Amino acid sequence: MTKPHDDNEQSHVDRREFMAAAAGMAAAVLAAHETNAAGHASTPANFAPEDRVARPVSAGSRILITGANRGLGFEFARQYAELDTRIIATCRTPDKATALQELAADNPGIVIEKLDVTDLENIDELATKYAGEPIDVLLNNAGIGGGAENQIFGKLNYPVFFEVMSVNVVGPIKMCEAFRKNVEASNLKKMITVSSSQGSIAEVMMPMLYWYRSSKAAVNMQMVNLALQMRRRKVIVGLVTPGATATDFIPEPFRSRIPSIRQPEVAAADMMRNIDRFTLENSGSYFNYDDTVLPW
Amino acid sequence: MISKLPRKGIDRIRWLLVVSVSGLLLAMLLPAVAQEASEDLPYIPTVLITGANRGLGLEFTRQYVDRGWRVIATARRPDAADDLNALAEKHPGLVIIEQLDVQDFDVIDALSEKYADTPIDILLNNAGINGGARNQMFRKLQYEAFDEVLLTNTIAPLKMSEAFYENVLASQQKKIVTVSSSEGSIGGATQPRLYFYRSSKAAVNMLMVNLALQLKRKGISVGMVNPGPTDTDFMAGLPKSMLRSPTDAVADMIRNIDGLNLETSGTFWQYDGTIIPW
Ligand SMILES: NC(=O)c1ccc[n+]([C@@H]2O[C@H](COP(=O)([O-])OP(=O)(O)OC[C@H]3O[C@@H](n4cnc5c(N)ncnc54)[C@H](OP(=O)(O)O)[C@@H]3O)[C@@H](O)[C@H]2O)c1
Ligand SMILES: NC(=O)c1ccc[n+]([C@@H]2O[C@H](COP(=O)([O-])OP(=O)(O)OC[C@H]3O[C@@H](n4cnc5c(N)ncnc54)[C@H](OP(=O)(O)O)[C@@H]3O)[C@@H](O)[C@H]2O)c1
Repeated sequence: MTKPHDDNEQSHVDRREFMAAAAGMAAAVLAAHETNAAGHASTPANFAPEDRVARPVSAGSRILITGANRGLGFEFARQYAELDTRIIATCRTPDKATALQELAADNPGIVIEKLDVTDLENIDELATKYAGEPIDVLLNNAGIGGGAENQIFGKLNYPVFFEVMSVNVVGPIKMCEAFRKNVEASNLKKMITVSSSQGSIAEVMMPMLYWYRSSKAAVNMQMVNLALQMRRRKVIVGLVTPGATATDFIPEPFRSRIPSIRQPEVAAADMMRNIDRFTLENSGSYFNYDDTVLPW
Repeated sequence: MISKLPRKGIDRIRWLLVVSVSGLLLAMLLPAVAQEASEDLPYIPTVLITGANRGLGLEFTRQYVDRGWRVIATARRPDAADDLNALAEKHPGLVIIEQLDVQDFDVIDALSEKYADTPIDILLNNAGINGGARNQMFRKLQYEAFDEVLLTNTIAPLKMSEAFYENVLASQQKKIVTVSSSEGSIGGATQPRLYFYRSSKAAVNMLMVNLALQLKRKGISVGMVNPGPTDTDFMAGLPKSMLRSPTDAVADMIRNIDGLNLETSGTFWQYDGTIIPW
């Protein structure tokens, strides 16, 4: 994938980008007032007709999933496999991922790779291994909640905050950095992150999950930036949410306290439908499982 | 203790001396407590400010002390804080300088122990860093910088709130305020930049909204303010004509802080009093 003039282009782009950032900052300073008063200020970008067409995942599409061994990640792998896609199913400990191994045994389109998203070198190594291979959908699914007991005001467990940030925020943006060229070289060109409605600041009704919530608000911010950044390269960036789902993520006794809890099959299918909805035009949106757009 | 009181004349004098000197020291160390004890004096509100040595923090100190408030002005390096020291000299007893690096949670805890029993009307989380634009360019993200930014801008304000919660609760105004930034508005982003800084401010907004709900029942209100682009070291390099003066920025934020109450708790204010969308 490395082109001969790549380094040159890289530093050139960096400089240009830095200047653009500085200029952007200055412009923002001037526009600060209007932008904020207007609420949401969308860039009046010019989209070509094809930029408005939603292109769904289909047979042959290549998808990379993080945390594919259980929960929603596994369900993504299972349902995408049914569409005859080619899947790079990553997980921290492939040896122990028996369900995923069985799935892969039945589906030659699935390749299992070892990946801990907090290990940035591990991410780079995997990206090197796949250099030159297009990836249609980069699906950042791996995430942790951090344990409700560590996020109670009065006995906040601060080291856990950094663990949560490293899996839920650094992991996804680093994946996007490392696999940028793979996605750019693909047909669908999507970078999707599984966020959570808990990341919506506007929808906070009860104080809880300080770490988890701020990690999802933070990753939302990163992905909105990335959507703006990748627009001219035609890469689509999206945020999806599953709704409260019965995975290990919501253990008992919490699970039975949520009457509206959904099954992983349904939650993954809902997110897949929303992933298909993304276009360059709506890139950067925060799609809830029920097809509505969540407020930030 | 009583039985050990010295009885002989000379001992008694020495004892009295010890008592009165330590009483004096106590009065000097804990002016708030001393002041509260004498009921004739009017209540002097107290604000604790982080990063009070320069920029907006220094200006906050200046304006609150001009209002007759007592300011616990914290700084990482008090000996190097010339402007702040000068201000403290000018207003003895009203500007109290304390050493505090908000990244050091042990020091936060020690300071809160030192001030146990001192009511703090406003806890003002002002200290913040932008992390350097060069560290936050996609494809060259420097993740160590992200940790620094999160620690200072996101987590420290919550840790401060946790540590000084009792002090705020014991005060009259009962306010916790964080200087956020319109860069933290996710819906307001129109150009990609400052990945870390922006997400640190979005994240602290989320924390403070949770805290607002958490502390409402206790009568504590929690707010976020934004100075707008202001001429401090923070914006070094940008043309001054584009920037607001710290005097105006702080006067505006103080006006918003004055308007903060239990009903408006959890609001994120633009300097002009409008509300910034998340
Ligand atoms: N379930 C819900 O109600 C719900 C609601 C909103 C959003 N979400 C989001 O949905 C996503 C998936 O959650 P889930 O419900 O499927 O949770 P889950 O059942 O707990 O599964 C979490 C997955 O993430 C993986 N993971 C954790 N840390 C990792 C790391 N450092 N590197 C690589 N993989 C790691 C886990 O791998 P191991 O098996 O190795 O631990 C596991 O595969 C998360 O981003 C979560 O925030 C879930
Ligand atoms: N200026 C603007 O245009 C603008 C716009 C929006 C928001 N803000 C926010 O306003 C706040 C104040 O910014 P400013 O413009 O006054 O910036 P500044 O002039 O750069 O001052 C930053 C202050 O924060 C202190 N600080 C940094 N890290 C610290 C730490 N670990 N512990 C304790 N203090 C620390 C600095 O202390 P040292 O002197 O020891 O470094 C300094 O006192 C920040 O939260 C910033 O995000 C500023």
